[in-house]
Amino acid sequence: MSSILEAKDDLPKFRAEIRAWLADAVPADWKARMARATNEEYIAGQRWWMAERRKVGLAVPHWPAEYGGAGLTLQHLIVIAGEMARADAPLTRMFTISLIHLPGTLFPHGTEAQKRRYLAGVAKGDVWCQGFSEPNSGSDLASLRCRAVRDGDRYVINGQKIWSSYSMYADHCILLTRTDPDAQKHRGISYFIMDMRAPGVEVRPIRQANGRAEFGEIFLTNVSIPAENMIGRENNGWRVAQATLASERGVIAFEGAERQCYEIEAFYRKALASNAAWLNDDQLRREFMGFLAEMQAGRRMLRRVLAESETPEASASVLPSLVKLSATVLRQRICSFMTRIAGIEGQDFALLAEEPFGSPMFDFLSAFSGTIAGGTNEIQRNIVAERGLGMPRI
Amino acid sequence: MTIPTEIDPTTLEALRESVAGVLTEQCGSTALHAFIDGKTALDRDLWAQAASLGWLGFGIAEQYDGLGLGLHGLGILHTELGRQAAPGPYVATLCAGQAIAAGGTEAVRKAWLPRIAAGEIRAAIPVSLNDNQRIRQSAGLTLSNAGVSGELRCLGSADAAFLLAPAGDVWVIVELAGAAGANTAPVAMWDRTRETIDVRLRDAKPAAILEDAAGVATALLQAMTLAIAADSAGAARSITERTIAYMKTRQQFGQPIAGFQALKHRAADLATRLAVMDELVAHALHRATMGAVDAEIWTSLAKAETTEHFVFIATDCVQLHGGVGYTWEYDPHIYLKRARLNEILAMANPALRDHAAAALADTTRAGHSALELGL
Ligand SMILES: Cc1cc2nc3c(=O)[nH]c(=O)nc-3n(C[C@H](O)[C@H](O)[C@H](O)COP(=O)(O)OP(=O)(O)OC[C@H]3O[C@@H](n4cnc5c(N)ncnc54)[C@H](O)[C@@H]3O)c2cc1C
Repeated sequence: MSSILEAKDDLPKFRAEIRAWLADAVPADWKARMARATNEEYIAGQRWWMAERRKVGLAVPHWPAEYGGAGLTLQHLIVIAGEMARADAPLTRMFTISLIHLPGTLFPHGTEAQKRRYLAGVAKGDVWCQGFSEPNSGSDLASLRCRAVRDGDRYVINGQKIWSSYSMYADHCILLTRTDPDAQKHRGISYFIMDMRAPGVEVRPIRQANGRAEFGEIFLTNVSIPAENMIGRENNGWRVAQATLASERGVIAFEGAERQCYEIEAFYRKALASNAAWLNDDQLRREFMGFLAEMQAGRRMLRRVLAESETPEASASVLPSLVKLSATVLRQRICSFMTRIAGIEGQDFALLAEEPFGSPMFDFLSAFSGTIAGGTNEIQRNIVAERGLGMPRI
Repeated sequence: MTIPTEIDPTTLEALRESVAGVLTEQCGSTALHAFIDGKTALDRDLWAQAASLGWLGFGIAEQYDGLGLGLHGLGILHTELGRQAAPGPYVATLCAGQAIAAGGTEAVRKAWLPRIAAGEIRAAIPVSLNDNQRIRQSAGLTLSNAGVSGELRCLGSADAAFLLAPAGDVWVIVELAGAAGANTAPVAMWDRTRETIDVRLRDAKPAAILEDAAGVATALLQAMTLAIAADSAGAARSITERTIAYMKTRQQFGQPIAGFQALKHRAADLATRLAVMDELVAHALHRATMGAVDAEIWTSLAKAETTEHFVFIATDCVQLHGGVGYTWEYDPHIYLKRARLNEILAMANPALRDHAAAALADTTRAGHSALELGL
């Protein structure tokens, strides 16, 4: 056991151990290297970081020990995320589905065999992607049409998925399909685990407005999936998918907010030291102070989402939607501010940057992933109004 | 000096329920409208009840006959008063108590705090503090051997017993009711749930001189910003709830207007602002209670941000009511007027943001991080 895990019963010591490990493990120049990385180098970097985490038992720390985890609590996760943010450690974006959505789905709905087989692979670096959205089914996800037809002990899949993050590097996919086209739309959906190397799976990357290609289109032609790869019962996939969608709540956004806080602080310290022009502009300085206030409010709200996530009230709560609305719009406002104050230099084309907000246009454009992915902000408003405020659905 | 501590959450929750219970019963919409139209003395009745329930002593230490519930106790009181848009000079009196406790000598505290805690006396304070070393002459009062002279617009009722205000380099307490050289004139304001007065002093003898001007000014600004932020959060939530309830009953085009998506989305945006406002207030209360070096940043910003959210929300609530929102008879205008007053009290919001920015620069240069939540 690593010295980090040995300290797990003593939270301050646990924190100190992680801090010490990160001071060693995070190379000072990782950002500079990533800023110039090709896609392949980026992927290699993600796998390297996952392996580093595995060495100290932090690959899947929150899973029960019987599935390769360390059985840590939410409090530990908060410490880990906070320390990762503080150290500006590499993110594990490519493993988001592997680390969050897959266990969030398999723990409540998977068979024992599925859990044993697939969860073990995550710590070893398996990449998973999510095949939910389709060209004609985005916000109205339940209208999806990708077909699965039973053929003996297998299912045959035909259809198309889109916007699937890191699908070009994925080993497996959590896939939503239609098994009963005649049933009411929520009742004819089945949920599968799909091998991305199976014959008939073709992935084409899609370039985003921010210049990168992190998501892709998945074309499925007569792809054969064993029936044992179904999660939950046939035609009960919508219910299983609710667990997947709910698992997104909290920890990722929490770490994102903590990282943003450190970035803002670093950015501010530099501005103060160099007596930046915007600090002497009344309007801009006051605008920035407003961001700080809302940022602190958002960080507090995220802690409440995490605390609430372990209670029975969580499933009915609209707090995650309120947090998403405020945090993603705040992010847009901050990035918009950074773009304005950067002047003409801020228009220079650059993808990743070494400095916080060093490529403000990249950050500004990337901020749309927050307002669109995972249920658009308009859909969040529907949820808040209908479920939270009890306004009628007509 | 006692170490600041947080009061345990269940005690605070019980407190909130008891305050809210009294206020919803005594200060509902009908009662408030009757008061605004001059038909009742709701402000007096409420004050008498507040006094008997010890509300005026929430923020005052037990040794001065208060309940010692700290800033969190005060936060709850102001939030609930805001909820019902309750009339009465609570902000002035409660904030004066905080400032006297922080910047008064033991003799001054002993003389004034027990009477404030008992609800025996009401205070008047400047409507706004300027940021020029926090005590500027804005106050317009001067202190000479003959006494205190000058004019000052104050937050407080016409029957305020005393004024707490800066005069030259110090702060003074001046008795108002019936004292020689002191004259007060009520000002009719749009917000009828609060009162301001013009205080005119000519060689009025100060009842006390507070030498620690910076200490008093800092404490008063902190108390006012927290009080107004909490008031705004409670009031904004209340008028939003009333508006959504109205939208569920009002039918147009054969359906409740609450079913129109354009309106649902606006309501969701109001709910998002309310969630942010609650946390702004909670964070400011928390940092101030801890006596954190960054407390002033967050109390200042809490007031600036929440009052602007409150104005936005109250404005939208008028619009979401349609024609009745524009009438004297319905509630939204009462809250909108309270919001507009809140916005300019304590210190203008641009100045507060500058004040916070200066404090942030100081804190950062001194090698501290101002961004710790400390939860
Ligand atoms: C960065 C990124 C990563 C993603 N990763 C994945 C992934 O890994 N896997 C995956 O399956 N999907 C992924 N998505 C897809 C994402 O879930 C969808 O983009 C999203 O659900 C919206 O669907 P859509 O793009 O079809 O937009 P549409 O549904 O066509 O929406 C278009 C506009 O109409 C609005 N709208 C739609 N319906 C309503 C309504 N009922 N009321 C009000 N407004 C409405 C929307 O808010 C939006 O503004 C990703 C998206 C992004 C941006």
